[in-house]
Amino acid sequence: MRESYGIDRRRNPGFFALSRVVVAVTLVCILGPILYIFSLSIRTERTVYQDTLLLIPKEVTHQNYPKAWNLAKDRLGVDFLEMFRNSVVVTVCSIALAIAVAVLSAFSFSHFRFKGKEALFSTIIASCVVPAQVLLIPLFFIMVRLKVLNTYLAVILPYVGFCVPIATLILRSFFEQIPYEIKEAAIIDGARNSQILLRVVLPLSASALATCIILLFLETWNEFLYAMVFLQKPVFQTIPVAIAKIAGGRFQLPLGTYGAAIMITILPVLVIFVVFQKWFVAGVTMGALKG
Amino acid sequence: MQSSNRLAAGGGWTPYAYLTPALLVFLVFVFTPVVFSLTLSLYQFTGFDSNLFRKFVGAGNYRILFADKYFWVSIRNTLYFVAASISVQVAIALFLAIIIFIGRFRFATLIRMIIFFPGVLAPVAVSLAWRRMLEQDGVINRILGGIDFSWLSSVQLAIWCVIFVSIWQWVGYNLVIFYAGLQSLDIQLLEAADVDGANWGVKINRIIVPLLGPTILLNVILNLIGSFRVFDIVYVLTRGGPVHYSEVLTTLMYYYSFSSNGPNSMGVGASIAVIIFAVVLMLGFLRVRLIRRDGGAS
Repeated sequence: MRESYGIDRRRNPGFFALSRVVVAVTLVCILGPILYIFSLSIRTERTVYQDTLLLIPKEVTHQNYPKAWNLAKDRLGVDFLEMFRNSVVVTVCSIALAIAVAVLSAFSFSHFRFKGKEALFSTIIASCVVPAQVLLIPLFFIMVRLKVLNTYLAVILPYVGFCVPIATLILRSFFEQIPYEIKEAAIIDGARNSQILLRVVLPLSASALATCIILLFLETWNEFLYAMVFLQKPVFQTIPVAIAKIAGGRFQLPLGTYGAAIMITILPVLVIFVVFQKWFVAGVTMGALKG
Repeated sequence: MQSSNRLAAGGGWTPYAYLTPALLVFLVFVFTPVVFSLTLSLYQFTGFDSNLFRKFVGAGNYRILFADKYFWVSIRNTLYFVAASISVQVAIALFLAIIIFIGRFRFATLIRMIIFFPGVLAPVAVSLAWRRMLEQDGVINRILGGIDFSWLSSVQLAIWCVIFVSIWQWVGYNLVIFYAGLQSLDIQLLEAADVDGANWGVKINRIIVPLLGPTILLNVILNLIGSFRVFDIVYVLTRGGPVHYSEVLTTLMYYYSFSSNGPNSMGVGASIAVIIFAVVLMLGFLRVRLIRRDGGAS
């Protein structure tokens, strides 16, 4: 372990034990609700109200999952795969566009010296603090005017708007760390600016790009308000909106199905999180420190 | 942030060319909407088919808003959110980060990842889970010894339930930032204190926490700004109810402008947006100045 410095078990047994208790209680508080929903999702109709505190019910079933899957089809006329596709299309397009725009602007800020540079940078960065909700009403009318309401573009365009500033910020600070000597070699070889960006800067920035992508993924994949207001047709609905409509509506849902519907939305994120956890932490830390 | 002085000088219009897409995005999707919002808040919304700027009412929308009892309730609730997230949430995160950092846990990374995990989930999914658990026949009441209380229908407690769920989801986010701060801490300072015979209480209070000052400030500001963005959790958990007693500014804005059982007055909605914007902008300036001052706070 790297953190070899810390509480000594023999010298501070009380403190040592306390730290274990605190962490154990915290883990129970965090994992409890997630495991409870999982437990709900594998219960049969007879056992949802029995031994609620038992993690593994007496009767286990996987039927709730196909039921939740079909419920989406019955209630909204859209199945989970389509919602998943919608979320993927919206997220991938937003991130790709935002990164492309941010790479260009970050390169400009890091590579050139020009008039009004810091003023322009501050202007772009200032929009990081504007809450997305503030822009909801005007953007709604702008989307109506652009005739893109109820198309993927209606949410992709605003998402790009929200993602570009933070991505510019992170990428600029990373691009500036690239030693000038590396770029100089390319300049002597007669490389143009665009070639420096594509051949020198970008290949060296894989980790910054990955960090950025993860951060933007969190912003767009879970976004709810814009997706709800701008994509009112069920065929375009993203996962958060659809799940809120299926499970959050006024009508009662069998509890097992309710749990399964939530689990279906949690599982893909869980997989992505486990695989890319390092980037998640880097993304959040960088976004916080630089933003 | 300080770059080397050996930047490509000028290059005429080239740097601006590279900036054009970003500036265009900013202009169309941030600047114009903000100005649009300001203007819209001075007009009465008369329907989707007509000209938006037909009926000028000046401060009329703001007057409607200030006369609405639930506007003040939503301000109060937003302040509750701010207060809880910058005090309780930051304190829990700091405490846990320190405990995990000095606790020599074998699975320290895994522990941090588990506490952080709710932060990557959709707030909608988190809220749906908690809504079920907080129900009258839900598991929370069962754990509390079979009491019979409908948490989310309580005028007084609904907003605190929402705040609790929000803390549950985001405390790991603050923790990860604190942990990054702890990892850049100079361990030698603590070892020097050991030589002087300092115990853990002294080391935490006199060395670790003071050195984390900038990180604490960073988390406070992040949560402060974040508190004004809360929407999903309130919307899914309570819809602002019972009646409007758990409404926050963003949900009230949604209620006024888009909700199917709301008054459909975009003008009043826009005036709420302007108020949120003004507050957050002030906080944003504060943050930029603080970060500039300690040079990145990292």
